[in-house]
Amino acid sequence: MRSLGQVKIVSQLLDLQIIDKDERSCGVVDDIELGGSPGKEMRVEALLVGPGAYEGRMPAWLFWLTRKIAGDRMARVPVDQITEIGSVVKLKSKAEELGLHEVEDKVRAWIPREGAI
Amino acid sequence: MNPLELTLGIMTAVGGFVDISQLVFSAQAGSRFGFALIAAFAISTIGIIVFGEMCGRVAAVARQPVFSLMRHRLGLKLGLFTLAVSLASTLITCAAEIGGLGMILNHLTGAPYLPMCIASTLLLMASMWILPFKWIERTYGLLGLFMIVFVVALVAIHPPWAKIAGGFVPQVPHGLSTKELLSYSYFIVAIFSAVMFPYEAYFYSSGGIEEEWGPKDLLTNRVTSVVGMGLGSLLSIAILALGALLFAPALVAPEVPGSAALETAIPLGKAGLLFALLGMFFAVAGAAVETCMANAYSISQFFGWEWGRHKKPWEAPRFTVAWIAAMLLALLIVMTGVQVMNLVDYAVVSSIVVLPLSYLPLMLLANDKSYMGQYANKWLAKGLGWLFFVIVTVTAIAAVPLYLLTSGGAA
Repeated sequence: MRSLGQVKIVSQLLDLQIIDKDERSCGVVDDIELGGSPGKEMRVEALLVGPGAYEGRMPAWLFWLTRKIAGDRMARVPVDQITEIGSVVKLKSKAEELGLHEVEDKVRAWIPREGAI
Repeated sequence: MNPLELTLGIMTAVGGFVDISQLVFSAQAGSRFGFALIAAFAISTIGIIVFGEMCGRVAAVARQPVFSLMRHRLGLKLGLFTLAVSLASTLITCAAEIGGLGMILNHLTGAPYLPMCIASTLLLMASMWILPFKWIERTYGLLGLFMIVFVVALVAIHPPWAKIAGGFVPQVPHGLSTKELLSYSYFIVAIFSAVMFPYEAYFYSSGGIEEEWGPKDLLTNRVTSVVGMGLGSLLSIAILALGALLFAPALVAPEVPGSAALETAIPLGKAGLLFALLGMFFAVAGAAVETCMANAYSISQFFGWEWGRHKKPWEAPRFTVAWIAAMLLALLIVMTGVQVMNLVDYAVVSSIVVLPLSYLPLMLLANDKSYMGQYANKWLAKGLGWLFFVIVTVTAIAAVPLYLLTSGGAA
């Protein structure tokens, strides 16, 4: 595992898959919240997950279209939730505790629980 | 190594090589240009083996599917563009497969085409709902092996093996007019596209993760990609050779997928025809399942949803909705009344255009030591990878002009 200090923030973290403590996929790092001020040390404060985080990363017309289709929800994952950064970002909590499985759970309610082996 | 592990490669190959496009282009290639296009199959087979092996290796080592890693590599904007074009071309391919199933069932039962398209879609969806991944791949992979009847038929007619072997040498047949030369070039493009469909790579790498591959499975990956793709190529070349030997002298142009089945009826009678139609049905059904799942895999992996059919449908709810939607959208395209042969043309042209965009990030990933460590591409895989990237890029550039100039190879 690399410590956060060694991470080249943008290239290493952005668009990386996120896995919760139960090894379930729970989104992608769509944007990063940075803390600090000019002349002081910049720090990663949180990972931002969900279509609401696309705003600064795509042209305005595309974000408008995305918002119409997928909404603008966004979950904030504090950086102290991260246990490992590699080919995925691993978290120490369950997806539900961080609001990362809201849509997954809503859709699940519509899926019949029968018939599959 | 468990022989059943080979079914992933076999299903990918039989349901990827010998999909509806392959059935059409193999038989037509043989009837129109003799054995000359065997080389196009042979070279593109090496291409799909190279990329298939790379895909499986990336999945086994990074334990992440290709589309997740691709998004990390390409970023959101370029990644979204790649996702959109790949979803569109794979959806058209899925529609072509469903149309093909409707036609095959129409030949088998005499029932009308569109109700047969609906029936086969419902059958596929039921099988995808009920069966876990291992059984999906085994069912369609193994039942698709009925297609071996084409090899049996070829052996039964005592073909001129030396002439068939001569087809492995790249060539341009003598005496072609400019129009025929353009059609010949379109066939080369279509064969490369149909053999190297991008969805095969997405399905294969996701399948490796469904089967929980790790670095210990790299030998399985290598063997399945070579044996599976090699078998698919063998079947396609048998269909082509039968077309050259049986259709060309009689001036028969196999315009619909069902014509290919007649190649087996000539030497083997009714039983051959039945085996061929059953083999075609299961191979094309496998391709429909692959294309539909490839779209669900791509979108789920891109957005980081729960995915996989080793899980119950309700354990990966958005993935489940995605494959159901992909299948229904493909059926909707068929229901508009668009001809299967047009869908086949749109599928091969759109797929070859997105092919370089799909394969470049994959190759960069497989070259990247920070992801792959000691399993990164060595000189052979790198060399072949770049060679085929150049070939598919040239083919992609030529695809649309050739399609327009030849009206889909008909000119």
